[in-house]
Amino acid sequence: MFTLKVAFRNISRQKKRSFLLAGAIAFGMLVITIINALTGGLVANIRENFSHALGGHVFITGREFNERGQIISKIRPDVRMDQLLEDNAGRIQAFTKRSQALPSLIFGSKQTMQLVYGVDFHEEDKLLGSLAVLKGSLAEVLTDEHAVILPQPAANRLGVDVGETILVKLETLTGQQNVGELRVVAFVEDQEQFGLSAAYVSRSYLNTLIGLGPEEYQMLNMFVTDLAFVEDFTRAFREGLLTPEEQQEEEEPTVSVTVGGVPIDPTPRQETITRWEGTRYRVMNINQIMEPVELMVGVLNRVGLVIFIILLLVTMVGITNTFRMILLERTREIGTMRAFGMHQKQVQHIFLWEAVLLGLTGCVAGLALSGLLIAVVGRWPLNVDPSLHFFLNHGRITFSLSAGSIVLNTALVVLTSLVAAYWPSRAAAKLSPIKALSSHT
Amino acid sequence: MNKKMQLIAAVLLIFALAQAVQAQDFSHMEAILERIDAQSRFDGMDFSCVLTMIVEDPEEGIEKLVVRQFRRDDGERYLLLIQEPVTQRGQGYLLEGDNLWFYDPSSRQFAHTSLKETFQDSDVRNADFGQSSYASSYEVEGYLEGILGNFDVYIIELKAVDDTVPFPYAKIWVTKDSNLVLKAEEYSLTRRLMRSALFPKYTKVGEAVIPVQMVFVDELVEGKKTQVSLSEISVSQIPDHVFTKAYIERVNR
Repeated sequence: MFTLKVAFRNISRQKKRSFLLAGAIAFGMLVITIINALTGGLVANIRENFSHALGGHVFITGREFNERGQIISKIRPDVRMDQLLEDNAGRIQAFTKRSQALPSLIFGSKQTMQLVYGVDFHEEDKLLGSLAVLKGSLAEVLTDEHAVILPQPAANRLGVDVGETILVKLETLTGQQNVGELRVVAFVEDQEQFGLSAAYVSRSYLNTLIGLGPEEYQMLNMFVTDLAFVEDFTRAFREGLLTPEEQQEEEEPTVSVTVGGVPIDPTPRQETITRWEGTRYRVMNINQIMEPVELMVGVLNRVGLVIFIILLLVTMVGITNTFRMILLERTREIGTMRAFGMHQKQVQHIFLWEAVLLGLTGCVAGLALSGLLIAVVGRWPLNVDPSLHFFLNHGRITFSLSAGSIVLNTALVVLTSLVAAYWPSRAAAKLSPIKALSSHT
Repeated sequence: MNKKMQLIAAVLLIFALAQAVQAQDFSHMEAILERIDAQSRFDGMDFSCVLTMIVEDPEEGIEKLVVRQFRRDDGERYLLLIQEPVTQRGQGYLLEGDNLWFYDPSSRQFAHTSLKETFQDSDVRNADFGQSSYASSYEVEGYLEGILGNFDVYIIELKAVDDTVPFPYAKIWVTKDSNLVLKAEEYSLTRRLMRSALFPKYTKVGEAVIPVQMVFVDELVEGKKTQVSLSEISVSQIPDHVFTKAYIERVNR
């Protein structure tokens, strides 16, 4: 405790020098904190925006064979599904049933391919709330069966205006040609660059065009109440929807030979799909979709960490040099303390405590500055390109920082400060009291 | 009571007779469909030609495609090799029964495609290069007699027998005397006209009679149409190896 007090007094004595050293550390801390918080916020925003664009956190699709042996994407009313929805009702915030198609939209002499989701607009108030309307009104989708909400780029390509009627040319699930008419009620912003550009029409109308019954659909999307248990939730549905045949197929043992850990299959088998009865489901969640994004963000965080470590190394050199100077300045003082009975270890501890205090002060200052910057930037609504809105939360940059990363970064700072001060502190501890007292410094 | 029964019997008889007459008429139309298919088929001989296609697209402009076709109806095979434009030279389509393969020389890969797809963004479908199959794909819904230009024609309304046919409904104008299709209209499941085809000129090749000029009009996209003309028609024997993937790869070396 005594050494800590002396260390604190020493730091306070040289305010300017301490300020510069702690300032350098604070700058490094500021950079890494902002990078971590920014990437954390980006992931959260992308996850949220993806969920809204895709209509949920957990996605279920179904496939079945038709009479002609074609595999078609279809989910029929199913008691197993209803039971699972009932059993997990407490964990489901909302769920939606959608159909989809990739038709040509035609207006006059212009046409464009566009992903179209068939949604029940009465169920999907969350979707309507998340769409950024650029022109027109979303109110009409609730009353007009032929209404379509178009992404602005698609509307531009077609040269269509709100209120006009376009043609939709598509294939039914069995490959027959079909044409319908849609009335444009609104243009919305989209995230075409991320492959999420979608138009929205009434599910019942799209169903009639693609050959689905009124109660049928192609995707069941669910918003869960807490993303923390999304994996468990997904597993529950995956297992609950498995048919006995699928369970049997999964349990069938596979024999494989490995050489040096690499599986060797002498006769590569061609994958054959054997016809099954009923619907087979595929259950996915937002984490699987977010994997590539999180991988990218992980790389960004690692780059941030490398920059942080480089900054720390530079600071470390500064700390080492400063402590060597301190050693020269305090040689007589150290000699006096040693003459009055202070142990070598205590002298070393004073130096090390100074380093720890400097590091911690830098960290606190860096965190405080980051907090200030985050508070200012986070309040600033950005008027950026619509494509960048995907990274934002209602047009604002958001920051998210985990306690773990703060602890890790602080620990790194303290550790490097200790390493930097170690050799000067050891040299100070080894000073002979007589020689130190006879020193002119 | 007796009179009432007689009246009902008379009505039923008239209804049955009407049905029978209609069925008989339809069978005549079905026979015409079979004749149309038969005279478009090259039985026991091969067929080759050069197709010149002028694709008019209001957005893309006018594009000329020159395609060499080799066709063998025994075994439902054809090979289409694109010769023009230069940027697409060497691309090919190989039909082997139900399987249609597209070859791209730039990637040297074959990709599975479908007879229902359109050919190179034109208004021609891949199925149009093969033999006609009206009789097996459609059933007659009704017909009218009419005149198209100088020709007396039957206007036959068709409905697909199942959902394997891309256009669920069609209407064809067939000459009464020679049973040549002069015009065809294809409709969507919602009975909206999607494509019109005109066949103004035919030629006899062996036993077959085939159109040598065709115009396909996209009825959904204003101003989009494709004109096709055939030249260098031949019924000489084509070597078997022409209808193979290896041949397409070889001609691209």
